[in-house]
Amino acid sequence: MPQVLNTREANLFRTVIRYYEEKQYKRGLKAAEQILKKNPKHGDTMSMKALIMNAQGKSEEAFALAKEALTIDMRSHICWHVYGILYRTNKNFDEAIKAYKFALKLEPGSQQIQRDLAILQIQMRDYQGYVQSRFVMLKARPQLRQNWTALAIAYHLEGNLQQAENILSTYEKSVSAAPLKTDFENSEAVLYKNSIIAEQGDIERALEHLELDGKNSLDRLAAMELRARYLAQLGKNPEAAKAYRALLDRNPDHPDYYKGLVDALSISESDEAALKTVYDEYAAKYPRCDAARRLPLDFLTGDGFRTQAKSYLTLMFNKGVPSTFANLKHLYSDSFKRDAMPLVVDEYLKDLKSGNTDGKVQANGDSSKGEGAALYFLAQHYNYHMGRDLTKAMEYVDQAVKLDSSNVEFQMTKARIFKHQGDMEKASAAMDQARLLDTRDRYINSKAAKYQLRNNENEKALTTLGLFTRAETVDGPLADLIDMQCIWFLTEDGEAWQRRGDYGMALKRYHTIYNIFDIWQEDQFDFHSFSLRKGQIRAYIDMVRWEDQLREHPFYFQAALDAVNLYLLMHDKPQGSNGVNGVDGKTVNGDDAAAEKKKAAKKAKKEAQKAEREAAGKSAKQDPNKATALKTKEEDVKKDDDPNGLKLAATADPLGDAMKFLGPLLQFSPKNIEGQLAGFDVYMRRKKYLLALRCLNAALSLDKDHPRVKEQVVEFQKAVEPVLQSLAPKVQDVFKSEFIGFARS
Amino acid sequence: MDIRLLRPSDIPLIQHANLENLPENYFLKYYLYHALSWPQLSYVAVDVSRPAKTPYDYPKIVGYVLAKMEEEPSDGVQHGHITSLSVMRTHRRLGIAEKLMRQSQQAMVETFGAHYVSLHVRVSNQAAIHLYRDTLGFKNEKTEAKYYADAEDAYCMKLDLRFIRDQIKEARDAELAEQAGGEKKEDGKETEEAKNGE
Amino acid sequence: TAGDVEDEVVSTAKSAEDRKAAAALSKLDAHRDDEAAPAREVDHEAVKNAMDALGGGDVKQAGKKEVKKVKVDAADVALLHVRAQQVDELELNKIKATELLKAHDGDAVKVLRAYVTSS
Repeated sequence: MPQVLNTREANLFRTVIRYYEEKQYKRGLKAAEQILKKNPKHGDTMSMKALIMNAQGKSEEAFALAKEALTIDMRSHICWHVYGILYRTNKNFDEAIKAYKFALKLEPGSQQIQRDLAILQIQMRDYQGYVQSRFVMLKARPQLRQNWTALAIAYHLEGNLQQAENILSTYEKSVSAAPLKTDFENSEAVLYKNSIIAEQGDIERALEHLELDGKNSLDRLAAMELRARYLAQLGKNPEAAKAYRALLDRNPDHPDYYKGLVDALSISESDEAALKTVYDEYAAKYPRCDAARRLPLDFLTGDGFRTQAKSYLTLMFNKGVPSTFANLKHLYSDSFKRDAMPLVVDEYLKDLKSGNTDGKVQANGDSSKGEGAALYFLAQHYNYHMGRDLTKAMEYVDQAVKLDSSNVEFQMTKARIFKHQGDMEKASAAMDQARLLDTRDRYINSKAAKYQLRNNENEKALTTLGLFTRAETVDGPLADLIDMQCIWFLTEDGEAWQRRGDYGMALKRYHTIYNIFDIWQEDQFDFHSFSLRKGQIRAYIDMVRWEDQLREHPFYFQAALDAVNLYLLMHDKPQGSNGVNGVDGKTVNGDDAAAEKKKAAKKAKKEAQKAEREAAGKSAKQDPNKATALKTKEEDVKKDDDPNGLKLAATADPLGDAMKFLGPLLQFSPKNIEGQLAGFDVYMRRKKYLLALRCLNAALSLDKDHPRVKEQVVEFQKAVEPVLQSLAPKVQDVFKSEFIGFARS
Repeated sequence: MDIRLLRPSDIPLIQHANLENLPENYFLKYYLYHALSWPQLSYVAVDVSRPAKTPYDYPKIVGYVLAKMEEEPSDGVQHGHITSLSVMRTHRRLGIAEKLMRQSQQAMVETFGAHYVSLHVRVSNQAAIHLYRDTLGFKNEKTEAKYYADAEDAYCMKLDLRFIRDQIKEARDAELAEQAGGEKKEDGKETEEAKNGE
Repeated sequence: TAGDVEDEVVSTAKSAEDRKAAAALSKLDAHRDDEAAPAREVDHEAVKNAMDALGGGDVKQAGKKEVKKVKVDAADVALLHVRAQQVDELELNKIKATELLKAHDGDAVKVLRAYVTSS
């Protein structure tokens, strides 16, 4: 039987809840202890204590306590609710939903429990469940606009656009007073409704609604952009042109607006002169605008192109814009333009020497302008893969360096050329030299560290990056980079460890990236309710849709593919029973080389650990009180019991471990052939032939001439043909009809 | 290069640009907080000339401004704040930072009625101070001692946004006048709207 | 009143910049605004009518899509469902396997063919 509290303690219990909500955990715990002293078996208090402990990071103890509380008081909705929250923080979402539902059964009117359930449902993308929860919440408090909007969102995400619109309209009809012009929630709700109308495909009605209800929208840019788009879609060209002109006046550096304007003016793609007139108008109107001058290079051809390129490059070189090449390299897919570029630059240099430059360039010793800019451009031109001539590239960059040996960009380009020559050691040294030219700039620092990693200098790279990471982070630069979710570093560091044969460290980095993506997915959680309070619904919908595709990001793909390929390697060439730091040297270099490599790797790792320890010690010294206090606290919360990935590398089932990375890879990036190739390799080794065939067919449809794909077809045939007869007849049928190797006649 | 509004899907590469360029870094969630609280205020510069490597490429961010409204302004005056602004070293001198700032300032006034915008800048960052003070017209309000993690001081700078309010009002007046003029020609009388206009 | 705040509320961040970020993020999950009064008067009668028009408790019906009845053979479910020792399985749980079968008129070969040709 649950214990009953007296008035004083019941009050105290309420303060426990309040302290928890205000995140005053120590006070909350103290108050809970006070109650438990007299009522040691009070389930609700035990649960609240567990909840607070959980918030402090002691999730195991919290779980044990919450379970105990539940056995004492099975009929308490608080105990069940807390139990659900603990499940949720442990990422066991299905159990959390069950617990919430149970709590809700015991206390059907609880808005808190209903809200927590709803948030979890949308987090899990249980749209039907979310619609139901939101419906109940609306019924409980229909006077709150948020609740109407939330139900509309639920229907919208579920795919029921009509009902979503209906809900929003119903609310509008039930409000008597007109909204204030400064009512942001209303302004946004109108645009949200407008987006739903447009999403249903009824553009005419969307335009009508926008011009009537969205006229005073506080999000002026959105209203203008939507209107321009609708007008264009409806073929109302003169009005659309006017709308796009208004947008260009706001922001003449947004290429989409030019495209909108040109389309609305019905100028044919081949009418270069007419097109150019449009851009020239804006170039004249906005002297600082780049797009109007650069975009014509995309469509101009022949002499028209050459003239425009000359005037654009002259302007850029005279100004000394370092991104000039980077902003034009897309033109190189056209071989005429690619070949024309260096000729134009040569002309510029000649003009410069003969003093024929309209007197505009006054470099005044600034090497990033004039001649320096042109040489820099040429060096990049010959370094770029579509016009590559590394000897020439080096010539030009050397000329530029001779002009000014303190120019960071020149030196950086030199490092890049070394990289393309395949000399990573020189490249790394050159990039570090560039870094030394401007030690206050983090960009060049990052580049130098990246090149060090490419040259397998993990320890050096970390020291380099440590010049900019926050000194107070207890565990040194690495901890700061992980904490700040620095994916590029983790990927490069992992790949470098892998090249050095330290599979543990490599896997450690790949798993860290995997975990960061988990955090990013979890990050949306608070916004399910926060966005309703803020009223920014369209941005919220954008986020939900982006999060749905989160792991298609190349950041994930790269790390996951690395991990899968490494696990394949570990499966194919097991590294001995201790599983530590295996080196794949036998096949390539012979035993001695392998042993030596292994030794070097071990030594390097020791150095790395030493460097990290020193860095940690250094930061601890800088702030002795705080650092130690913080460290003990953090250790309570999360202690990494495998900092060097030794456990990861010791796995007995590398292919099984690879699945964790492979699943999202195939699900979210099915059109990336590298993922399909890796998937095939994993499934073949696991003898999952249907799944292997699925990857193979996908790869075939992406690029049937890919050399690896051709190999895999042969491999599949060789492996499956002998066992075909032993398979279930239905499966045989599928192989026979869906594999090209068997689908004869 | 393309100057446009920030989208949630840009955030990983904005975070990446920030980590490459600046010592002040944030969790992805802090970017999300900006993007979902004031989606009208943050802008990015995108490198549009990169050939795609996979069907899943995200636009490469070469510059961004991450901006917000002050949630509980201590002076009680609605105002915006620049949380972070950076442009890749390789993409300087195109005026990207200035363009990003101007777009953000415009929206601060239009959408949230901001009276001014504030920001912090390292006292040693001459290039940034030049942009804020000389190009954009910010004034130095005060110095905050040891504002940054490495104990460097920050200038707290402010820009009065009244000039944008005036521009908006002027534009609206002109629009209404034009409408009224047009209507007059058509049916010879002023419209209700023009009379009751803001 | 800064001294009144407990230490766990105070961010461990050293710089003002970091403290600002930490403070903003810690407030994201606050729910107190939910209790705020609505900004505009709602017409309670109209709301009641609107709620009635929405169909009250019929939401379950509204959310459900029509499902056609398909007979599913248990052996086919097993064929699709994961069985580690077999060479020919897809990695699907029973529920998903049943769902797939239903969507393909209970025809296991159709399911498999669709599965290996779509991704």
